[in-house]
Amino acid sequence: MMQSILTIVVLTSIYAILAGGIVVLYRGTRVLNLAHGELAILLGYLFATAGMQVTGSILGGMAVVMVFSAIFGAGIYWLLMRHLIAQPFYVAILATIGIAILAKASIVLLWGGRAVNIELGANTVLYPYSTGGWFSYLDAITIATAVIFFILLYYALTSTRLGIQFRAVAENPLLASQRGVNVNTIMMVAWIVALFAASIAGVLYGSRSVLSLQAVVIGIGGLTAALVGGLDSLRGAIAGALLVATVEYATVRLIDPILSQAIPFVLLLTVMMWRPWGIFGTREEIQRV
Amino acid sequence: MNFELKRKAVTAGIVMGVMLSSPVRADYQIGFMTDLSGALSDAYTPIWEGFDLYVKALNAKGGIDGEKIVLHTEDDGLNLQKAISLTKKLALQQKVIGIFGLSVSSIHGPVFEELRRLKVPAVTAFSATSDSLAPAKPFSFSTGSLFQIAGEAIGELTPKLGVKGKVVGMTIDTVGGRAALRHNKLAVERVGYGWDEVAFPIQSVDFTPFAQAAAAKNPAIVVGHYGTAQNLGIIPALRRSGFAGPYLIANYGVTETAIEGAAKAAGSGENIYVVSRYAPPQENIPAVEQIRAAAKAHNLKSSLTQVHVEGWVLGMVMHAAVTKCGKGCTAEKLNETLENLNVNTGGLTGGPIVFTKDNHYGASFWRLYKWNNASRKLDPVSEWIRRDGIEFGSL
Repeated sequence: MMQSILTIVVLTSIYAILAGGIVVLYRGTRVLNLAHGELAILLGYLFATAGMQVTGSILGGMAVVMVFSAIFGAGIYWLLMRHLIAQPFYVAILATIGIAILAKASIVLLWGGRAVNIELGANTVLYPYSTGGWFSYLDAITIATAVIFFILLYYALTSTRLGIQFRAVAENPLLASQRGVNVNTIMMVAWIVALFAASIAGVLYGSRSVLSLQAVVIGIGGLTAALVGGLDSLRGAIAGALLVATVEYATVRLIDPILSQAIPFVLLLTVMMWRPWGIFGTREEIQRV
Repeated sequence: MNFELKRKAVTAGIVMGVMLSSPVRADYQIGFMTDLSGALSDAYTPIWEGFDLYVKALNAKGGIDGEKIVLHTEDDGLNLQKAISLTKKLALQQKVIGIFGLSVSSIHGPVFEELRRLKVPAVTAFSATSDSLAPAKPFSFSTGSLFQIAGEAIGELTPKLGVKGKVVGMTIDTVGGRAALRHNKLAVERVGYGWDEVAFPIQSVDFTPFAQAAAAKNPAIVVGHYGTAQNLGIIPALRRSGFAGPYLIANYGVTETAIEGAAKAAGSGENIYVVSRYAPPQENIPAVEQIRAAAKAHNLKSSLTQVHVEGWVLGMVMHAAVTKCGKGCTAEKLNETLENLNVNTGGLTGGPIVFTKDNHYGASFWRLYKWNNASRKLDPVSEWIRRDGIEFGSL
């Protein structure tokens, strides 16, 4: 039982970080990023190669990846998304599909698509289960990282000038702009934060599983969690991640592992029918495509 | 007609004559098509590298009867439509006499249909389908691993692990994976093992729940029928889930580099085994020395793996077939040659690769290896066993 609970908590942590990035981006820019999984895996590859191999240390690797995240985030906004602001909302979503394709192509070009483990040296026993398995230091780091991520995010949004400006733009960009907030800067920061989140999730995922072209499906888990919890709610990102992780795990262990990727979508559809804006999301008018 | 006009007419005639005359193609045109950029490129690229290495080494020695092999390589990216159009390009534009490699088995059927229409033979490596088994369909040959035969071979070799009890088979939810599990089950049950299985979606986020599900079935042995990415995720997850017993990799393109990575992530390289049709490149035989020498001479960037050996052996098959076909070899003649071919691989497989008119797969040989973490290589645990087709039931 303990093994199951802790496994769900670890999976929740990764989904929550991914969903948190999607939510931050949506709140700040009203863009639903369908490239989140691809970007997470791409940044994971960068950590494993340019980061770890060049700097020789985990912290050095993370610093490299954070720099790349900032460059990619700023680049995506200034070179692409900024020009789509006045367009219908679905244009920006389609643009993220293009970003996803580019990210996957980059993985193939730079690493030949080969599968890569990230070795953090933390897979050792922290707490042995009675069944013979163990809760590892890596599992603890994953959970701790998610907790710290959301604490820092909450602090930034509620107690910093930038965070308050972000919330103003999220609430009403026109009014915020008229009050002197640089909306472009805030939206760029939203993209950078989203990519920070993606890079953290990519590194944690690559450490406990494997980075590969197939691994980009992790973005669907994060997206499902964000949609279930509410696209504009960080609290919802955590709740959605917990729900998705629990349903996925329970399906594997109690029903049939084959259905583990399908059942979370049943959860999503159920929530969408009941509360289309998500469990903790803001009730909004639904625009039909 | 004045002189200037005559001069221009003669010049034009000479130019047209040169352009329209068919170039004499003395070299052998060979096609190679596989996934070099898609989701399974890490599995198929070493096959191409091994084949390409063989061609380079062959050409360096003067080719076949003084004629070089011209290798036309195409990347299907695991896309079926692309594979079919590249097949046509290779056959009709590049005029290859044979196509080697191919990628995932689900693409083989339509590609083989096209090749039959074009009357160009194909020899696959890595993946194989029933098209090459007796009674073989025309123009389809294979030196790869047919899932059903691989499953049975693994079942036959399981007792060599020296452990009794329940075998839990794991696979991704594909036709091939399910077929491998089915035949693995029949083979191990015949020698007294219990059986259970866990199948999971091809694109899975976290392998931990599946590993825990497998460990919860209290296996004595776990067998994995999938590729590199899944092994890299499942092996550490299985160990974290409490399973420390023998883990057997069915070698569908899993390289020693991947095994080393999985062992590192798992914190231990103990109890990892591989069943393969091909010898690893550390064996002390002359054929392996040739591969090493070629890799050095032609600056192969990747580390040599068992999968490169598979590509090299495919090159040997091509070499033997084209040599026997002789000068002026056409696609149809090459097909006839392939239908009566016996290739001695010098110990790289457990026995010769033999194709006949009725059987384009022939007998296959399999061996059990144990991963040696200290020396980072595969040590043989058993002798080669021979499998003649599928033993248990139908496909």
